[in-house]
Amino acid sequence: MNADLFSAMARAVVDGDAAAAAELAQNALAGHIPPAEALDKGFVPGIRTVGGLWEDGEYFLPELIASAEAMKAAAAVLRPALEAAGSTSDAPGTVVIGTIEGDIHDIGKNLVSAMLTANGFKVIDLGADVKLTVFLETAESAGADLICLSALLTTTMLGQRRFIELLVERGLRSRFKVLVGGAPTSRKWAEEIGADGYGESAPAAVREALALLGKVSS
Amino acid sequence: MSPLVSVLSSGRRISSDSGELLSDLLVREGIPINLYCGRRGVCGKCFVEVLSGDLPQADERERTLAKARNLDPGRFRLSCRIAVRTDMTIRIPDAAMIPKTRILAGGAGKDVILDPTVRKIPVRPRRPGLHSPHALIEGLKTGLGLPGLRLSPEALFSAAAALSGSPDEDPMVTAVLGSGDELRGVERGDTSSRLFGLALDLGTTTLAAELVDLGTGSVIATAVGLNGQAAFGADVVSRISAAFHDPVQAASLRNTVIASANALLSDLQAAARIEPNEIYETVIAGNTAMSHFFLGLPVDGLAVAPFAGIFAVAPPLPADRSGLRVNPLGRVYFAPNLQSFVGGDVTAGVTATDLPSRPGTVLFLDLGTNGELVLKTERGMTSTSTAAGPAFEGASISCGLPAQDGAIDRAILNEDGGIEVGLIGEGTARGVCGTGLVDLMAAFLRRGDLSPDGRILRPDKRLPVAPGVFLTPQDVREVQLAAAAVKTGIRMLLQSARLDVFDLDEILVAGAFGAYLNIENAEAIGLLPRLPGRVRFVGNSSLEGARALLVSGRERLRAEGLTRIITHLPLARDAVFENVFIEALAFREWPESPAQAQNPKEDS
Repeated sequence: MNADLFSAMARAVVDGDAAAAAELAQNALAGHIPPAEALDKGFVPGIRTVGGLWEDGEYFLPELIASAEAMKAAAAVLRPALEAAGSTSDAPGTVVIGTIEGDIHDIGKNLVSAMLTANGFKVIDLGADVKLTVFLETAESAGADLICLSALLTTTMLGQRRFIELLVERGLRSRFKVLVGGAPTSRKWAEEIGADGYGESAPAAVREALALLGKVSS
Repeated sequence: MSPLVSVLSSGRRISSDSGELLSDLLVREGIPINLYCGRRGVCGKCFVEVLSGDLPQADERERTLAKARNLDPGRFRLSCRIAVRTDMTIRIPDAAMIPKTRILAGGAGKDVILDPTVRKIPVRPRRPGLHSPHALIEGLKTGLGLPGLRLSPEALFSAAAALSGSPDEDPMVTAVLGSGDELRGVERGDTSSRLFGLALDLGTTTLAAELVDLGTGSVIATAVGLNGQAAFGADVVSRISAAFHDPVQAASLRNTVIASANALLSDLQAAARIEPNEIYETVIAGNTAMSHFFLGLPVDGLAVAPFAGIFAVAPPLPADRSGLRVNPLGRVYFAPNLQSFVGGDVTAGVTATDLPSRPGTVLFLDLGTNGELVLKTERGMTSTSTAAGPAFEGASISCGLPAQDGAIDRAILNEDGGIEVGLIGEGTARGVCGTGLVDLMAAFLRRGDLSPDGRILRPDKRLPVAPGVFLTPQDVREVQLAAAAVKTGIRMLLQSARLDVFDLDEILVAGAFGAYLNIENAEAIGLLPRLPGRVRFVGNSSLEGARALLVSGRERLRAEGLTRIITHLPLARDAVFENVFIEALAFREWPESPAQAQNPKEDS
């Protein structure tokens, strides 16, 4: 029964069991289940559950990372088949993400990056201490839909405001959605600087990203 | 045959080179005789009792100095004036020895020999006469026996006021000398017994100060107060942010902290009945941002990577530029900063605990918003800082409070499964401070309300503490993050030194939070490794270190040397940091095998 397989896939992601996730992905391919279906009906519901467990305070960083790793393992198995089927366009979007110049902290950003990847986004992670112009140039050349800016210091969060200004100056404001996050930021801050979204946590950032790109799931 | 000097009570017999100064002989033998004026025969501190031996008569100045101390000039002689030419027997009174100041540091301290950078020497300047119409300051130099005396610019005016009294007045004055025989000022009369210094621990939250008699090294008054900068934010990063690109705010932050320090000074001066002008030397130990704020230096560089401060070692500041209400001719010295986030407070702590000379592998740990760590091994010293966040100061906790009245500061799990809490002050519990949080986490873990991964296992997802006081899942997460930051710092320092946690011979925990921390519980949640008998709380080592730097120029040189020899380990830039940190989030005792911890050296 495919339903059992799908729920086992979700379970593997929730449990953060990368080996099981990879094996289940193999089983799906062997069973001629379309890879897109394995993702949509098996693994992605798992990572959504993880998001919920986080919001409920049941899961914390180690669990989140383990689940993202499991998701990554499954995706690695499915990717060749997905590409062969030409269904990469199913990705909810392309994201450029990084921690702003002057800031070297990036655990939170890495987590958002991992969760976005786990949720099927094509993610270009620029790392930490990234110049504003690099965000912009990368987003332009990659044809990104969304730019995620992380700042862990009250001083570097000012760079988030400058980035929005930079987009406006270059006449590119409507070209990209911008999502901000990081310890000192808030929804109020995001609204104040004119960002499109605010990610309070990694799962919240995913939710927000999906909504921004019109891929809201129930 | 070379003459022999017998030192009574110690029974030592010292062979001398004929003609050698008695003071030099005693110093050579390691006897800490007080040569306050540098062997110039003017301070009168090195009088020894001569019981036998053939000596020339004392000169007029030596006799005057002896009489001023109620000593018999026939028996008591200045050891810096005596050339040893015959056998002699002497007795050294305690008063002739260099005083020491006791640095406690929770039993990890040491005695520091007084070697202050400011001295007061009473002197009768040689008066000008018709046959010798010299300038007044030249007469002072002659009186001091210091022809090479240098003058600080301010001293010119101070000397003018003190030296130009009428010929009828007592000509006695007191010269205030800084290091390198620099004249700082001149006071009328003999004020040499009134020379004081201020040691100030400039904390982000709290200021603590000691008034020290620089003649004896003893603490004559202490005071504690709050840092008024709290109005700009609880932690140092929020204050840096407030001053960032905003000179008006920066000036306001400076004025605020100076006002807080002056309030403490008023308390100290009232308690000890001394005048601001009697304080000639100040040492301030604070984190890098605090010392920058105090000096009015820009902190913009500390706000963004690579987090560069302006200075590591600052020159002693003329006191009139410091804003402190002390003698304007004095100096203000800042404990050197090791790194941008490992500041002078840590340098002072390292000084107070004598970390470089401690045997074995020792970890110095200052717990606050920033955890600052210094690991001393047989091969050297490495520092690091770790962003613990404000959880242990109660700031990011829903019911969090600083350690003040109404805060739950301790908790124990009773045998009947009830949790009993202790409160600062009287009345009802209003919230929980850092040490209380650690105790509560340990109690809830033990009772099974909390799983080691940080999940609350109670159905209502709350941890009840007292009526109206409870902890939320988010609070638990904040404590996990804070504890993991400290644990990660310790692990990565050990890793960089290729050492295991079992190799630690001693852990010195500094800071107010550390002083009240329940060690068992800190170990139970994994904040500190479980190494029975090896964790020691050293109290406010920043303040004690400031005092060591106040009374001893040698300690200052050593402290400045630390900035060159302590290497720094930047945590966030390390590739394995993230993994170590994530792994450290669990509330789990470490090292995992306590049996090994008890027998570290047998484990190989």
